[in-house]
Order: sequence, then structure tokens, then C-alpha cells
Amino acid sequence: MHILLIEDDVQAASYLVKGLNECGHVIDHALDGDDGLHMALTSEYDVMVIDRMLPHRDGLSVIRMLRADGNTTPILILSALGEVDDRVTGLHTGGDDYLVKPYAFSELLARLEALTRRPSAQPQELKLQLADLIIDIRKQSVMRADKLIHLQPREYRLLEFLMRHQDHVVTRTMLLEHVWDFYFDPQTNVIDVQISRLRSKIDKNFGLPLLHTVRGTGYKLSESA
Amino acid sequence: MKAPKLNLLQTTAVKLAIKFTLIYGLILGIVISALYWVNNAHIDNKIKHQLEKSIVHFQNSFASGGRSELIKQLQIYQQADEKHIAFLQSETDVKLQGNLHAWPEDIDINLDGKVSAAWVNDEVIPFEIHEDDAYLPIAGIRLSDNSKLLLAHNIEQSRSLLEFTEFLIESMGIAILFSIFITIILGRKIINRMEIISKTAADIMAGDISQRVPLSDKNDEFDNLSMRLNNMLDRIQQLIKGVREVTDNVAHDLRSPLTRMRNQMEITLLETRTPEEYQQVLHNNIEEIGTLVTTFNSLLSIAQTEAGNHRTQWDQVNLKQLAIDLMELYTPLTESKNQTLEVINGNDSYVYGSRDLLAQSFGNLLENAIKYTPHGGNIKLHIKTSDNQVEVIVSDTGPGIPDKEKKHVLEKFVRLESSRHTSGNGLGLSLVAAVAGLHKAKLILKNNNPGLQVILQFNRDNS
Repeated sequence: MHILLIEDDVQAASYLVKGLNECGHVIDHALDGDDGLHMALTSEYDVMVIDRMLPHRDGLSVIRMLRADGNTTPILILSALGEVDDRVTGLHTGGDDYLVKPYAFSELLARLEALTRRPSAQPQELKLQLADLIIDIRKQSVMRADKLIHLQPREYRLLEFLMRHQDHVVTRTMLLEHVWDFYFDPQTNVIDVQISRLRSKIDKNFGLPLLHTVRGTGYKLSESA
Repeated sequence: MKAPKLNLLQTTAVKLAIKFTLIYGLILGIVISALYWVNNAHIDNKIKHQLEKSIVHFQNSFASGGRSELIKQLQIYQQADEKHIAFLQSETDVKLQGNLHAWPEDIDINLDGKVSAAWVNDEVIPFEIHEDDAYLPIAGIRLSDNSKLLLAHNIEQSRSLLEFTEFLIESMGIAILFSIFITIILGRKIINRMEIISKTAADIMAGDISQRVPLSDKNDEFDNLSMRLNNMLDRIQQLIKGVREVTDNVAHDLRSPLTRMRNQMEITLLETRTPEEYQQVLHNNIEEIGTLVTTFNSLLSIAQTEAGNHRTQWDQVNLKQLAIDLMELYTPLTESKNQTLEVINGNDSYVYGSRDLLAQSFGNLLENAIKYTPHGGNIKLHIKTSDNQVEVIVSDTGPGIPDKEKKHVLEKFVRLESSRHTSGNGLGLSLVAAVAGLHKAKLILKNNNPGLQVILQFNRDNS
């Protein structure tokens, strides 16, 4: 991926650049809002990571200018402001996702990959398939190895989200946000229990395990671990 | 900054009173002048008209009875009213009848029989009956035997009108003086009341935020203002207390884990270790940081909720739907502990508030219930709607909280020192309390026999 990072904290940015490079991505880094806006307008990126508080021109202003200019590149907002209102403001301005500092690098990576997922997994698709696991979006039915699997409505949504992000890691927070529309950190392993229950339905008694736990990060639906 | 001492003339009350007195005086003056002028003109006109009628009358008398009849009529006219002034002079300028000494110098009667000078200045006419000055409308005619008749009217009314005006002006002066007097008293009173508030403000500035404006028993607008100021001070003091608590809590909760992390890393660096050992230390630290961040976020969230920073994204939240969402999230967890999670909800019931905060509060209550209820227990989430309130009741069959402790726990919601040492970060319930406060809901802890029942009472029209 070609990523634009607009972040004024030089050290934090250098870690991000290093980490994203090692994950195989190409990063351009801008130190302030004006430079960042200029780079965003003159080059093509797959995704942009924009800090909210920037010198010269704040992050939201950069996003507003880009969106007004017709730029549709996915944007992830980084912020030290964590209030519900702040997140809503950020997303309303034109950001696609919002991550509050301090965040885990794995969380950032998972969200960037989710933002740039392949166009083949777009919502208009009627069927999603991974190996012998097929879900029919219209009928909301799930088949594995030609056997119909019965899921609760919310389990189905969980599986659909994982299917749309197949081969990418999704974090617990992402699941909580997208499947349940909840924006808090549960103090229990509630998501893990949900996953193991789903796993028992779609993986148990079938040959190849598809739902994998990624240590310290989250989960991945994939043919290979 | 030191506020200057209040000066009487600078007070708004005095300034306003003076302004109004001046405006009032001005308006009164204009009205009186207008009245005087209009009245005068009216009276003049009326008298002039009367005089003209009288002239016609005397003309008729002269025509019917000659000079002797005219003189007789003039005498009657003079005696009828002492304001009537008449003068008849023969063609040889001899006074025939009348109550003037002589024919006024600058009045002549033209050949056409009309008075050439319409009005006479007061001093022109010497009076026979009164030595006083008066303002006289006048009319005259030259009769056919070439004698001249002059009629005038002594306007005593105009004098009384003048006197009345003078009286009005004098009383206006007294009224103004009186109002200045009242103004000074009023200003003094206001200054005295303001000084009380001012002094309290000065005390607070000096550092004693517990000071409050003393109230009088008058229950007037100053008391109203003072009460509002006191309420504001209460709120500010509460917020300051909140900030201080967060600072204390953060300091307490950050110091220990930071010390642990630092020690672990320093000790790891004392010797060369295997890559596995380094990895282990880093993993441990990431985990510690995770816990730390969660605690930090919870504290911040509680503080921000208590400060009421959350209002912009409020909407009508369907509690029934929220309960279903929560049930779908937590059911697998309860099933893994062989607990039953039962959701009882009737109709859609709406509460005006923040869905995110409400979800988190109910989530916290459910998580507590799940955490403390033993295997095989029963957890209930009940949304109970009545005409004017919605109750969210989370009950469990866990150990509950002894009555004696309940009060303690409720008291501790704000600081929550003891529960912060139990499992988790122990801030769940204090967030619930803060969210309840923000939504003006009542938080009640009850015995479930066995277990605990937590009730959140929302008013249905708390918007």
C-alpha cells in the first residue's frame, strides 16, 4: 500500500514509518497540515493517516479540503481526543475511521488494511466465499462443505464482517464497533467467547480451520493461519 | 486585579434614575408649554368672537335707540362682568362712556369700521377698574355719527393659567429633587447589596472557593442572583473536586504500573539475555500498558461524563433495542458460565441521552453481574416502562452487597478507593453513577435475595 502519514510528532511518526515499512507498505510522511495537504493533492495514495492536531492547518481542515476537492482516498484519523463527540465530528468531517491515542500498532495496521480491502468484497456482492465456506448475503444463509449452518442474526453479522475482511486481521474493537455498534472496551473476554462460539459452528467438524486467532491483535478469517 | 470601590454616581441605578428624571422633566415641560399655548389661543379666539358679537349687539342698540340707548347698554355691559372693558368716544374725542381713562393711543378705527391694530400690548391701555396688567383682545367700530366704540376683555384666565403653569414648574422641581433624593437612597441600597456579592467574589479570588454569597430574607432579585451565583460556585467547586480526584487517581494508578515496567526493563538490561527473554519483557510491558490505558480512559471518561461534556450527540435512545443488542453481545459469555441471561422488555421505551454512554453503563452492570454471579446463576435485564419513567433493572443471583456496605459503596462511587483494588479496574460502577447523573437518572442498589439488583430510574421527559 502507498500510505500518506501526516503527523507532527517526529518520533511517533518514525516508529510508524518503520513498522509500516516492515509490513511491506510505502510511506510518505508530512510534518504539518499544509505540507500534508499539498502531498495528498499531488500524489495518489491508497490510504491516508492524518493526525487531528497539526501545526499550520489542523487535521480536520485537511480532510475537509480533500473531500471538497473530490478526493475519496480512505482516511484514518489519529487523535488524542477520545470523546464520543470527537469521534463523531471526525467521521462527519469525512474521515473513514478514528483511532484514539494511545493505540496499538496492530490496531492501526488492521484498520488500515480494512480501509483498503479489495474491491471484490464490496457490499453489492451477493455471495462471499472462502474455501468451502459460502455465505449468501441476500438469504443471509451460511453453507460449509454444502452443509447448511444455522447462525443467530448477530453471529451472521459477525461472520459477514469477517468474510468481507478475509485474509486481514480484525481487532476486537473493530468487531465491537461494526457488529454491535458499541464504542467501549468491555472488561470481559466477551468478544473471544463470541468468536469461539462462531468457531464451533463454522470450523468444528470441518477439515480446514478458517477462523484464526492472531495473538495480541484479534482474529483473521483465512485459509492459512 | 482589584475591583475599584463602587461610587454612588457610577451605579447603574443612579444613572438610570437621573436619566429618567431628566427625560420625565423634559416631557412634562413640553406638555405644559403645549397646553399653555393651546389653551391661550383657544381662550383668545373665544373672547374675540364674543367681542365681535357684542359689537353687533351695540350697533343694533345704537341703530334702534341712538346714543342714549347705546350708553345705557354699555353701562349694563360693564356692570355685567368686571372683565368687560368698553369705551365710547364722541366724534370730538370726548369720552362718553367707558371704564378706560382714555382712548388707547395706538388704536385707531378705520373708516371701514374695523380696528386697525388687532392687539394691544398690556401697558398701552390704562385701566380704570384695575391697575393690573392684563392681556386684552380688543374689537372696535366707528358708528354712523362718527363716534368710536371700543370693546376689550380683561383676560384674568390667562393670569391664572400662568399661575397654574408656575405651580406646575415649581412642583416639577420638587418632584425632581425628590427623585434625586430617592435615587441616592436607592443607589446606596444597591451598592450595599452589591458590595456583599463583591466581597464574596473577592474572598473566592483570594483562594477560598467554599465562600458563598449570604442571602437576605427578602427573596428579591438580588437573592435570586446570589442563589444562582452560589449554585454556579457549587458546580465549579464540584468540577474542581472532580479534576483533583482524577489527578490523584491517575497519579496513583499510573505510578505503580510505571514503576513495575521501568524496573522490569532496567533489570532486563543489566545483563545480556536471550531474544526470548527480551520478547517476554516487551510482551509483558505491552500488556501492562494496555491495562494502564484502559484505566486511564475509564477515569477520563468518568471525569468527562461528570463534567457533562457529552451533550452534542444526544438523541432518543430506544432502550428496548439497546437491551437486545446487549443481550446478543453477552449471551455467549453467560452461557459459557452456565448462567442464564434473561431480557424482559415490553414496548419500545425511549430515553433522551447518549447511546454510547448508556450502552457502556448497562454493559458495565451486566459485566459486573456476570463476573460476580457463580456458575449456574441467573442474570436479568429488565426494562420497565411506566407513564413517567423508565427503569433499567439489572439483577443477579451473586453474593450481592450487604446493606451496610451499600451506602459505603454508593458513597465510594465518587472516589471508589476500595473497589479499585478488586478485580478489573473497578471503575465500572463509578462510570454508571456518572452516566446516571448526566442523564438525571436515579441509581438504586437493592437486595435481590439472593444477589444484587441495580436500578436506574430515568424520567421519560428528561430532555
